[in-house]
Amino acid sequence: MKKIIINIILVITFLVLYFLQSNLFTWFKIAGVMPNLFVILVLFIGLYSNKYMGVTYGIIFGLLIDLFISKKIGITAIMLGVVGVIGTAFDKNFSKENRITLIIMVVIATFVFELGKCLILYIINRVFIDFLPFIEILLIECIYNAILTIILYPIMRNLGNKVENEYKGNKILTRYF
Amino acid sequence: MYNKKKYGIVGVIIAIIVLIILFTLTNIQNSKLSYFENIANKIVMPLQNGLTYLKNKVNGNSIFFANVNNLKQENENLQKKNTELEEKLRELESIKAQNESLKQYLNLKEKYSDYAAIPADVINRDISNYSKNIVINIGAKDGIREGMTVIAAEGLVGHIISVTDSTSKVQTIIDSSSSTSSLISTSRDSIVCKGILNNEKNLKAMYIPMDATVSQGDTIETSGLGGIYQKGIYIGTVEKVENTTDLTNRYALVSVAVDFKKLETVLVITNN
Repeated sequence: MKKIIINIILVITFLVLYFLQSNLFTWFKIAGVMPNLFVILVLFIGLYSNKYMGVTYGIIFGLLIDLFISKKIGITAIMLGVVGVIGTAFDKNFSKENRITLIIMVVIATFVFELGKCLILYIINRVFIDFLPFIEILLIECIYNAILTIILYPIMRNLGNKVENEYKGNKILTRYF
Repeated sequence: MYNKKKYGIVGVIIAIIVLIILFTLTNIQNSKLSYFENIANKIVMPLQNGLTYLKNKVNGNSIFFANVNNLKQENENLQKKNTELEEKLRELESIKAQNESLKQYLNLKEKYSDYAAIPADVINRDISNYSKNIVINIGAKDGIREGMTVIAAEGLVGHIISVTDSTSKVQTIIDSSSSTSSLISTSRDSIVCKGILNNEKNLKAMYIPMDATVSQGDTIETSGLGGIYQKGIYIGTVEKVENTTDLTNRYALVSVAVDFKKLETVLVITNN
């Protein structure tokens, strides 16, 4: 029962983030650059839930985004799936209790996501993208995402612990020993 | 041990299958997938429309707080201007009629003298920093097809890349993967205008012929080559010419006539 509620909440969060991203964040641009909230969401799912949820949700959300707005269908799906895998890998190897590690994780995930998307687009379309402006936008986006992570960290940790308890069993005791 | 190995192989196979499906999906043309797009759109569209309406309302309200006296004065000025313009319009109408009859005498058929266009609202902008597509609120039901030209009052916006029942995606000319074949209207030299990644106001005009003369303020319009856009749609003016040491590499920055940041209504030309 609780799992169903968690899944419903995740889907609703995705829709809310989609509307935020397409309507609200067109106003709050830093140097003309929007943050990417989906990367944070999928990374969060990968970090706190079980092995396959990160990838599954990444691909589903990516496909939805592609259907809503993208030109080619599937590219965002692949890269958000990869972000889910990265989340699971980070969960195995690092602690999530530290704010700074989480920020670094978000930055790395954003970097991989955008770079991978750009590479796939290049392979399919052979469109040459100017390298320096691309890196500039990417860096600003990473910083913006990092700032948002600092703000969202308490919510992420509280919700995340609940999700983790549901999916991986109660780990609170082992965490402190 | 054995089980673990087996599961590992199964996982790899599933991953490969998923990847292959996704790659085939990416290579299918969007039109074949519009059924799924329709479903996805039906879920989000009501909310999306409402939010866009709200956003436009909030945007409009900032003007409401402006000084009322200024508005009155502005109103008077505009009314004066309006009458002047109406007079001019009547004059132009007569000139147009004259022109048409003269053309008929000359047996010239002007193919794109008047466009049949459908107005539409921009309901969604791209969520990515690297592409600048927009979504408009008319689709296949209103007779929109893929490849139709989209313009605004100021000039060219882009063309339609995929259509659902009630929405369609538009690739704008400022998108970095878009290139528009165009020409300099004074010298009739053909050039290609490409979108710039981190710039919403300019296009990069490339492949300028070596013997062509480009100067600041030249107007740029579509050339009709390539078959995507009709001939003679206004794009913008040349802002700056970058001369490199090699003449073949020189390019010009074209300032786009349409303000893409504030773009709210567009027109879709239906008689391609």
